[in-house]
Amino acid sequence: MPNASDTLRTSDRWLPLGGAGLLVVAILVFPSLAPNPYILSTGVIVLNWAVLATSWNFVGGFTGYLSLGHGALAGLGGYATGLLVAKADLPSFVALVVAALLVAALAIPIGFAALRVRGASFVIVSIALVLILLLVFQSWSSLTGGSRGLVVPRPFPGMLRPEHHRVFFFLFGGLLLLALLTWWLLDRSRFGMGLKAIREDEDKAESLGTPTFAYKLTVFVVSAAFTALAGGLYALWFGDLDPVFQFSVLTGSYIVLMALLGGVRNLFGPLLGALIVGIALEYFKVQFGNSPLHLVTTGLLLGLVVMVMPDGVIPSLVSVVRRLRGREQSSIRELSAADLAERRRRERAEARS
Amino acid sequence: MTLRTNKLRKAFGGVVALDGVDVEFRPGKVNALIGPNGSGKTTFFNCVTGMIKPDTGQILYGGKDLTGRAPHVVARAGVGRTFQLCRVFPRMTAVENVLAAVRPGGLLHGLRGAHRRTETERAHRWLTRLGIEHLADAEARTLSWGQQKLLELAGVLMAEPRTILLDEAAGGVNPALLDRIGALVRELNAEGRTFVIVEHNMDLVMSISDHIVVFDRGRPIAAGPPALIRADERVLGAYLGV
Amino acid sequence: MLLLQSIILGLLLGGLYALLAAGLTLYFGIMRVVMIAHSAFLVLAAYLAWWTNSRLGVDPLLSMVVTVPLFFAAGVLLQRGLLSRLRPATLTMMSVLITFAIALVIEGLLGYAFSGTQRRIQLGYGTASFDLFGARVAVVKLIAFGLAAVSLAALYVLMRHTQFGWALRATIQHRDAARLVGIDTERTAGFGFGLGLATAAVGGTALALDTTIYPSLHWHWIGPLMAIIVVGGLGSVPGAAAAALLLGLAQSLLQIPMGATWAQTVFYVALFATLAVRPQGFFGGRLAQRF
Repeated sequence: MPNASDTLRTSDRWLPLGGAGLLVVAILVFPSLAPNPYILSTGVIVLNWAVLATSWNFVGGFTGYLSLGHGALAGLGGYATGLLVAKADLPSFVALVVAALLVAALAIPIGFAALRVRGASFVIVSIALVLILLLVFQSWSSLTGGSRGLVVPRPFPGMLRPEHHRVFFFLFGGLLLLALLTWWLLDRSRFGMGLKAIREDEDKAESLGTPTFAYKLTVFVVSAAFTALAGGLYALWFGDLDPVFQFSVLTGSYIVLMALLGGVRNLFGPLLGALIVGIALEYFKVQFGNSPLHLVTTGLLLGLVVMVMPDGVIPSLVSVVRRLRGREQSSIRELSAADLAERRRRERAEARS
Repeated sequence: MTLRTNKLRKAFGGVVALDGVDVEFRPGKVNALIGPNGSGKTTFFNCVTGMIKPDTGQILYGGKDLTGRAPHVVARAGVGRTFQLCRVFPRMTAVENVLAAVRPGGLLHGLRGAHRRTETERAHRWLTRLGIEHLADAEARTLSWGQQKLLELAGVLMAEPRTILLDEAAGGVNPALLDRIGALVRELNAEGRTFVIVEHNMDLVMSISDHIVVFDRGRPIAAGPPALIRADERVLGAYLGV
Repeated sequence: MLLLQSIILGLLLGGLYALLAAGLTLYFGIMRVVMIAHSAFLVLAAYLAWWTNSRLGVDPLLSMVVTVPLFFAAGVLLQRGLLSRLRPATLTMMSVLITFAIALVIEGLLGYAFSGTQRRIQLGYGTASFDLFGARVAVVKLIAFGLAAVSLAALYVLMRHTQFGWALRATIQHRDAARLVGIDTERTAGFGFGLGLATAAVGGTALALDTTIYPSLHWHWIGPLMAIIVVGGLGSVPGAAAAALLLGLAQSLLQIPMGATWAQTVFYVALFATLAVRPQGFFGGRLAQRF
């Protein structure tokens, strides 16, 4: 049977730990292995995507609300950080944290409006959010520099480019680990279970006593905070903000694509998706040199993922592996109650020994 | 804890589903809510449990005003409910379905693990009592209709409600399961839980209820013990459309 | 005088919006699909109109002879080939993603074929204007409104007085009931989609008469159009028309004090207000869906 149980079996405890260990090693080692600064900066970009996708997955994976507007939250984080450094003279990393808190606070009224509706209306709202922020940030040139963009002063002014990339690689890596840890804790918690109940059947969850709106809003704010941190860190690293790129539905959909591809119900799913898509995007950029064809390839990739494996890569791989192993059966109905009882007795005996 | 409503009214556009319902259910007893199709029974449940807001009127539970409150508030007040078209969490396992009913007492409580031993054991006990413990790790969507009904009930019971609303618990189940459900209701009632069951199966209603309320066209037309209701002409008239 | 001008322009604009939004709300009504690619198809139609004009030298309106049936066929193919294969449980979100993917592909191909240069149709009558109750109205705007009015009228007749129209309305209102009375809902849905994209062909052509077009133009339109269909009530064409007129008027009037860019925010304000106050929309009546 497809065992979707969250019960902490041995595999559930070792897999995240092992994966995290591998990740930490990879993060520590990569900068030394990178052959040139360009590859290192690509690594920074991919890590940025990984944080964004994992942060998105707080809402998408747990509640099932698929937001196409997280690009807006990242953009807000970027601009808030940038403005706080450029105009309010705050030290870079203080600005980063303050910006994230501001965006988290802003996420409350946004969530209030957006989470009252579901399904199609929610998607429409999330897209509208990006578009209206794009409009506002483009038009309000006195504050934001409008279409000319905003230059964000670097946090480490004297630093050379390769070192700069290196430092930010570690910073993003740290942020990613923090996001993954938070996701993992949430996944195991009762709060997380309530969220998953919302995903399965929101009205039923509410009728069982889960305060669904409060839960949705809370996880949305947490997601917004992490997304804003990623956006702000990017602003500090990249140094130049443009509304068209910061408030982009395209960004939002890349995030969704990455999370879906990797698998929204898994801890490392969004990371995996970010690796695959992020590297692919950079590759397309090199190949097609910013020609519009990279839009075509992105569209085709997105379409493929949706039509072929909407559960994501990890779950599809897992089911393939299971089928190869021949252990599992496809439906519980094929086993009689007696067989099941026998099997459970056997499994319990094995676990005890 | 008495559940009663005062002049409860709900209209959907031109259709009046509840037409000023004044009703009081006997605490600690098995109450049945019967009536022909379209008489407003499910709308009544939906209003009481907060899924729909009534237009006017009051819903009182143990003296507390629950009118227009959100479903989770009603649930926390101690009112549980099953659905006509049995609702379970499809991709969660049976035991997870039941565990989902445990409500965190606050923020910190909610951040703790979902599978604390005491609760998991309690969940398994409910599954055992309802006879589906062997399906604990099966995904709910792979269960048969009857098994899902039992699972839904297990989840509701896990939340420890004092009053349970059953919406057509006997709908679409085989006679053996029907008997089992009837026996369960009597058992659980004997342990102190109040029941309000919406039912079409008259044998079940007559055999397990202590108090019956009859709805017709959005309002109660008769109330009393089974013997009385069985002989009531108005009830017959409502069902036969006379 | 400026006020009258704004009002008239607003109504003309609203009429055009009504046509552009009609298809979008239709897809939603038929299949609960949020078709993000609709505005991309509008831009595609606009490009085809421009291309027939600049390369073939004919009046851009003639491009509709080809684009309308072509887009109709594309709509049928889209629904039957892609959308009907999506799992019903996650239909809405997956349809958003896949139509978004289509929009990207269209934008990419347009950029590749025609480059990112902004294009504009040069018409003989492009600068001519008309005197209407003392206000100066550009002829192209009147033509666009005329196209919209004719198309919407035709749509109305189709939906109310033809067998196909009845089948389509039944499918929109209650799919299962429609099947029970013998309507082939799959085929009807396919044709309904084709109809939606056909309106995109007309709308895009109308748009091309008076707008500068570029590949990423569809982003400019999808927001306001989505706002219109939500305000009007998802799934209701008359609702969308009413909302379109209202919002077009509001946008036109607000341009005087606020300027063109800020006047655009009226769509988003209306969208958020609608979702906050009356999520099922204001004008759709019983047909509108609450989601």
